[in-house]
Amino acid sequence: MKKIDKAVADQYFREKNRYMVIYFIIWFIVSYGCVLLAEPLSSITIMGGFPFHYFMGAQGAVVSFIILLFINAKVGDMIDKKYGIDEEQNIKLSAGKSVDH
Amino acid sequence: MDTQFLVSFSIIIATFALYIGIAIYNKARATSDFYVASRGVPPVFNGMAIGADWMSAASFIGMAGTIMLLGYDGLAYIMGWTGGYLLLTFLLAPQLRKYGRYTVPEFIGDRFDSHTARVIAAICTIIISFTYSIGQLSGSGVVIGRLFEIDAKLGTMIGVVLIAFYAAFGGMKGITWTQVAQYLVLIIAYLIPVIFMSLQLTNSALPWLSYGELVGKMGELDRELGISEYFAPFTNGTKWQFLALMFTLMCGTAGLPHVIVRFYTVSTMKAARWSGAWALLFIGLLYLSAPAYAAFSRFILMTKIAGSAITDLPAWTKSWIDTGKLQLADGNGDGVLQWSELIISNDIVVMATPEIANLGVFVIGLVAAGAMAAALSTAGGLMISISSSFAHDIFYRVWKPNATEKTRLSVARWSIVIATLFAGLIALNPPGAITQIVAWAFALATGTFFPALVLGVWWKRSNAQGVIAGLLVGLAVTLGYIFAAKYGGFTILGIIDTGAGVFGAAAAFLTNIIVSLATPAPSQKIQEEVLDLRYPEQMVYKDGEVWMNEDGSTKA
Repeated sequence: MKKIDKAVADQYFREKNRYMVIYFIIWFIVSYGCVLLAEPLSSITIMGGFPFHYFMGAQGAVVSFIILLFINAKVGDMIDKKYGIDEEQNIKLSAGKSVDH
Repeated sequence: MDTQFLVSFSIIIATFALYIGIAIYNKARATSDFYVASRGVPPVFNGMAIGADWMSAASFIGMAGTIMLLGYDGLAYIMGWTGGYLLLTFLLAPQLRKYGRYTVPEFIGDRFDSHTARVIAAICTIIISFTYSIGQLSGSGVVIGRLFEIDAKLGTMIGVVLIAFYAAFGGMKGITWTQVAQYLVLIIAYLIPVIFMSLQLTNSALPWLSYGELVGKMGELDRELGISEYFAPFTNGTKWQFLALMFTLMCGTAGLPHVIVRFYTVSTMKAARWSGAWALLFIGLLYLSAPAYAAFSRFILMTKIAGSAITDLPAWTKSWIDTGKLQLADGNGDGVLQWSELIISNDIVVMATPEIANLGVFVIGLVAAGAMAAALSTAGGLMISISSSFAHDIFYRVWKPNATEKTRLSVARWSIVIATLFAGLIALNPPGAITQIVAWAFALATGTFFPALVLGVWWKRSNAQGVIAGLLVGLAVTLGYIFAAKYGGFTILGIIDTGAGVFGAAAAFLTNIIVSLATPAPSQKIQEEVLDLRYPEQMVYKDGEVWMNEDGSTKA
């Protein structure tokens, strides 16, 4: 075990949270935002017939959610790498940490 | 009917033989395996298993029909049941994985260092999972009953035996790989009819891109008929009900014990992140197709069935009219079936559409097998949650800490058998529609576990008194609102029983925070454990300092 600067660890935590806040803002806009503005959005038509509010509810929001989750997984890996986190060690550590009963 | 019966029956038997074969092959021997497989399920397969656990009879059988009947307002289910995965994957799953406990009650019991909180959480888990499983069992009863042309009650009993069998003898290890097989069966069964209908109606093999055209056309047809357009927003409830229902379904997703427990089967926080992403991709395949399914069904009914002579209706109408789920009455006596004279129950849209569109015996049989996979896979996961809450959290951790592993395993198996039988008994005369029962389970999870887990992971000051008060108040408010709205006609801003989670969650968050602040802070050790959840496994928080573990040793 090696002691690291608490500021570095906090930086890690803040960096992850900053991304999370961005993801949640997009999450809110594509779902709640589009429902709140459903009436004005319904006059826009896309993809050969979809009124825009309907398209967002049926497809746009779901596709955005999936993309956000994959971005989160990938960005999470990159942040881990930046801070020198080794997944092999994580696997070993969690195997030892789980309650054994 | 005879050919159809033989084909459907053979497909169902073949898929069941596959699931049971996998369950027997993986027959659990040790308790730790029984609950969470071997903690090493790769994220892609874990994603499929989560997908199968997640997509229940309500998603498979009920959702497309709900959207067809509610139009835009039904899309709250699409966004709610997918958007919750962001809450789960960002706010809870990796952190709970690092904490390293088997079940939700165990996390709550250890995080708050309170047996009272543990027991309350175990009871909440049992209530939520039990409510949810009643819907699954009655769903499987409808499919089996329809198939064998026997009473749905008898069908439910067959479902009960099947679920008890592989949940009790396979444990979750059997279930993890069984779930992967079930996911594949159910998604293929769902996509094939949608793609075939898309080819028939739009000459495109990509329904997701082509059905927009039909949505537009249906708007025109609706205008001609003088009814509200298919896609017009908020025709079946207020905007607030839409938002409340969506919120309830999202937070409930993040608080459902049988879904969270899936994240204990992955090895690390990183694997938890990826499992969440894969899970939503696999779930999204069905959720993106359901509105297309709904649009195709409605278009076929509007253009091919409505407007035909009442004496000249296709053969499929007869068998569905017999189930009482379809009504075709020539109300104005002109000998022609009008659109307004056709009343279809949302529960039969997915099952009946392949027949309506004349897709052939094989596709119809496949849809029946997929519906069974959806109902049984979710029920299996629910039963494991119930049995681990009772056998592990209540029996072993609180009641009989000295019980041997053999006793605990046998208590776990018996609790599955008893819970399944009891749920089956209620499913014989369900207290509401399947989707309604499932929505109550989500409202209860939103009002109880979502606030308790979010505060438990993200706020070190939350303590035992706070969580106990929060769980009890959330449960009482949610249950109270469901009953008041359903039976008393009481609503706020037009929010009905299915949106009750909004009030439960608000009350539970407030109670938890106020009571926690009014009582002493948790111990230093617990606060450090909570701060530790901010970092990946390799970083360890201790005595106000952060340590990096570079050699994988667990000693300081």
